Amino acid sequence: MTQPPPTSSARPGVSVPDLLVALTITALGIALLIGSREIPFGMNAVVGPRVFPLIVSVGLTALGVLLTVSVLRGDRAEPAAEEDTDMEAPVNLAAPGIILGGFLLGAAVLTSAGFVIGTAIMYFSVAWAFGERRIGLMAFVALAVALVTYLAFTRGLDLSLPAGVLKGIL
Amino acid sequence: MESLTSLFAGFETALSPLNLLWALVGVTLGTLVGVLPGIGPALTVALLLPVTAKLPPVSAFIMFAGIYYGGMFGGSTTSILLNTPGESASIITALEGNKMAKKGRAAAALATAAIGSFIAGTIGTLLLTFAAPAIADIAVQITPGAKFALIMLAFVTISATFGASPLRGLLSLFLGLAVGLVGTDLQSGQARFTLGRPELLDGIDFITVVIGLFAIGETLYVASRLRKGKDNVIKLEGGAVMSKEDWRRSWGPWLRGTALGFPFGAIPAGGAEIPTFLSYTLEKRLSKHPEEFGNGAIEGVAGPEAANNASAAGVLVPLLTLGLPTSATAAILLAAFQQYGLQPGPLLFITNGDLVWGLIASLYIGNAMLLALNLPLAPVWARLLLIPRPFLYAGILVFSTVGVYSLNNSVFDLGLLALFGVIGYGMRRFDFPVTPAIIAVVLGPTAESQFRTALQQSNGDMSIFATQPFTAFLMLCALAALVVPQILKFRAARRAA
Repeated sequence: MTQPPPTSSARPGVSVPDLLVALTITALGIALLIGSREIPFGMNAVVGPRVFPLIVSVGLTALGVLLTVSVLRGDRAEPAAEEDTDMEAPVNLAAPGIILGGFLLGAAVLTSAGFVIGTAIMYFSVAWAFGERRIGLMAFVALAVALVTYLAFTRGLDLSLPAGVLKGIL
Repeated sequence: MESLTSLFAGFETALSPLNLLWALVGVTLGTLVGVLPGIGPALTVALLLPVTAKLPPVSAFIMFAGIYYGGMFGGSTTSILLNTPGESASIITALEGNKMAKKGRAAAALATAAIGSFIAGTIGTLLLTFAAPAIADIAVQITPGAKFALIMLAFVTISATFGASPLRGLLSLFLGLAVGLVGTDLQSGQARFTLGRPELLDGIDFITVVIGLFAIGETLYVASRLRKGKDNVIKLEGGAVMSKEDWRRSWGPWLRGTALGFPFGAIPAGGAEIPTFLSYTLEKRLSKHPEEFGNGAIEGVAGPEAANNASAAGVLVPLLTLGLPTSATAAILLAAFQQYGLQPGPLLFITNGDLVWGLIASLYIGNAMLLALNLPLAPVWARLLLIPRPFLYAGILVFSTVGVYSLNNSVFDLGLLALFGVIGYGMRRFDFPVTPAIIAVVLGPTAESQFRTALQQSNGDMSIFATQPFTAFLMLCALAALVVPQILKFRAARRAA
């Protein structure tokens, strides 16, 4: 793409994070391309299951290369402005890390410890990452939300969710 | 006249006490999620899909339609009182509306937004009532090749023509297409990109993708750059009302906004952003007080809000008649139809007429309900903005988890959810639009199947896309939509240099 560099955010040099993203996309495109070649042509079909994946992976690779080129020319992405964000604030990568960690931990224990414990862990870690520090209140709300959700889904909507350690009590 | 008869039958369906209740639930939920940051109508419908599988389709869609329209009403409340537009379509509303609110005219701003949304929504639904069957009649004859070309056109306009960066839009689109490929190919039974995992044989459920990209991605992103300190939510005493002078200045913008919004919604032009901008510019030019613009001009709220809602009605035209979604929420509605084994398109009006007309009738009812909910209850909705963010985002994450887990009772899906959450974070951080990816995930498999059907009919001859006149015309349009804006940009850049 032959776009002129944006004047507002034009800083000299290549942005390393942008370059990593562009290279990852290109690599993903190549991986898909290799994967597409392993899909058989398919029998008795004019257009087999392989054609469309080939088109998509070639497209993705080509676009990834274009992005890489434009990043090497100094293009860099402007982070999106969302509700509740402050674009001037320093970026805090620990907070999303805590959320992700809490989520994966909660998901890992979801079947063994049960749905209520698992989602309460998730709730607690998000609230913590968003700066809340009243631990007693957070634990109470986390368990309450998890319990109400569990009861609403299992009793109200007849969905089965793992009870875990609370089996027999709930 | 045929439309009117069908519409009356539709009202009979929609006015049954149970369906009225679902409409009320929908518009209330819609307003709620429209007001709340971090969650919107697209995400809400996706979250509710697993839960509503047991409802009759008519009731489910009446509720979804309420959420769809309600989200638009609620979104304006947030941008007026908090000045942080959640969707790009509300940017303009925040521009003038928040200035009005700061001058103590919040009630008038909310009123002109709500009444304008009601009028635009009702006119838009009226246009939908008469345009949709007519288009469906023509669309019955569309060949698979033309259908494929139509999808290509939508893909290009949504991702490349109107976005800030065509390259990033197209990348988002191709990412979505790639995700749509995972799983068993339905025509040949061949597994594709499953990495040997049996959980992937059925493909990646689009609900996981949507919730990951929207809810988890948003939560991770907001956490990384959280706005500290107290929000300045503007206090609101009493309901939303406006003076006679406000009415006099609002009705013109309402009608002009509707006229701009509806057609832009109906063509795949990437949502409501453009008509709201156009409406704002138009009102500024027509206004007798252009100096007020930028300092809280009521026309600057009335016009764009009407355009926003009229385009929401317009989006339903291609969705119902062609099965072509032009916004993220429409893509999820399409997936909802598919979940019920229904394929939106011209035949839907014949095979499931009562469902379609019940849905359309409920749009009129939902709009009236929304007006009643939003004018007197505005202060109640405004209070929602005071919910402490740690508890709000934590709640959204827990509901997302339940929504995805209850799809297959599978922890593997939660891993996928986390993966798409990280991708959603990356898309926000690196300025990739999310909508093209969502539309590609939902529409990609349809595109592939139309592509293959068309080529089977021609015995593999690719020239079918160039020799059928209508197909060729659509393909040329898609090509032009991709190339022409680039040429214009290049020329403008050269002239500036």
